[in-house]
Amino acid sequence: MSALNELSMTDLAGAIARGEATSLAATQACLAKIDAANPTLNAFIRLDRTEALEAAEAADKQRASGATLGPLHGVPMAHKDMYYREGRVSTCGSRIRKDFVAPKTATVLERLDAAGAIDLGTLNMAEFAQNPTGHNREFGDAHNPWNPPFCTGGSSSGSGVAVAARMVHAALGSDTGGSIRLPASLCGVTGIKGTQTRVSRAGVMPLSFSMDNVGPLTRTARDAARFMTVIAGHDPRDPTSAPEAVPDYEAALTGDIRGLRIAVPQEWFFDGADDVVVTAFEAALESLKARGAIVTRLSAPSLNAVATCVAVVSRVEGATIHANWMRQRSGDYATHLSARIYGGYALPATYYVEALAHRGPLLRQFCAEALTGHDIVATPTLRTRVPTLAETDIDADAANWHRFMAVSANTRPFNYLGLPTISIPCGFDERGLPIGLQLAARPFAESRILQAADAFQQETDWHARVPG
Amino acid sequence: MDTDAMETAIAEWTGVAVPNTAARVGLADHLALIAAFAALRGTLAFEDEPSSFEAALRDEALGDEQEPRA
Repeated sequence: MSALNELSMTDLAGAIARGEATSLAATQACLAKIDAANPTLNAFIRLDRTEALEAAEAADKQRASGATLGPLHGVPMAHKDMYYREGRVSTCGSRIRKDFVAPKTATVLERLDAAGAIDLGTLNMAEFAQNPTGHNREFGDAHNPWNPPFCTGGSSSGSGVAVAARMVHAALGSDTGGSIRLPASLCGVTGIKGTQTRVSRAGVMPLSFSMDNVGPLTRTARDAARFMTVIAGHDPRDPTSAPEAVPDYEAALTGDIRGLRIAVPQEWFFDGADDVVVTAFEAALESLKARGAIVTRLSAPSLNAVATCVAVVSRVEGATIHANWMRQRSGDYATHLSARIYGGYALPATYYVEALAHRGPLLRQFCAEALTGHDIVATPTLRTRVPTLAETDIDADAANWHRFMAVSANTRPFNYLGLPTISIPCGFDERGLPIGLQLAARPFAESRILQAADAFQQETDWHARVPG
Repeated sequence: MDTDAMETAIAEWTGVAVPNTAARVGLADHLALIAAFAALRGTLAFEDEPSSFEAALRDEALGDEQEPRA
């Protein structure tokens, strides 16, 4: 593998800006890795090779001209196939939208373009972003780069794989119930979703308007900080996007977390957890304590209600968006997806309204329980070891339903609460599959979780390990 | 309500037929979710002043930032 593939997104951007590397060489290195690994891992749905090479050459010429460069100038990326680019097919991982030509370009892609990023193509994903495992009937399952029979995590499966396998330096995912954090955890990379409304969703396939989030999967917390600085902030095309000013997230990455107060809720997140996950989580807390953080175990009884309400909201909104297609062409969905959507029609409308009405009060209650006197909440991202694709395959055997649904148990609550949350690698199990640490903070405190994640990555090297 | 009755109700309410066997497994799971939500009755209170989730996000962003750290 070319050494350029090993560079983090920010290191590569720096090398290009200083003239120590070219965008063309970096893009060629990514394409070579894609050619070698994609037949096994199936991360890419579409590869725009010629366009990417032309864009990279143009980026190098721009640098040579002395032009002002964006913070991601010349860096090769690719994104989940649900970010619209005008005139390009955006399949959303589905048969139903296999020929859907996007009528507009997503705001986040426009912002990445303006920052100088190179777009290599589109990445595999769960069909309509609706599974936590990475299964995809239409385009084939994505495979875990650490061990291909295992799940990648979903729904941003290709994003997790492509970043971990060094096919790209960063990728957009989306997160409605854990779809950035799960592939980050299962593939051993960093993934962040911001505060609800932090990043524009204009030009992005919707799943659940109340809980959809846009965010990146990257190699490091520093990469995630720069990526978020580029894409976050109000967008007139998305009236739901937050007006709060966006700080320079990288400026928070001091490595100094002395006195950082970390809360560990004892409810929910450890129910049925595997010992190897708990051991890695506890070791991660020790690493944070070694840098001066203070860890407190506490009770957050609101989590039971949160876990129930998030399921009501996400299932009803997902079922509603797909109602017409479910009436007219349910056979065009994968079995696991139509089965999952179908159940949403069983939920009474008053339950949905109640679940939404309780969202603000439950956020206030959770903050009072877990974040008063504390800066960060820490949990495992996934309670169990990484499952195999076979043992979570509902299409093959409906008896796998509960194992499939359990994958997102620890990530879903933070979508309902709307809190910024990050997953970073914190160990490996005895089979060599990654384990993730999840950190959440108060609304709009993305800087704080990035600061803690970066400090953790200065203390450990889990994030620097590369799959076979 | 059992799953058979729910299938009939869904067809009437939405015009969507049960798509496959796995959907019946999922439907049972959703009925368990309904039971879990029903069990929350009396434990959650509606706010009696105008409010919203977005307002809660902004309020809670401030939190205890001004408190001295331990």
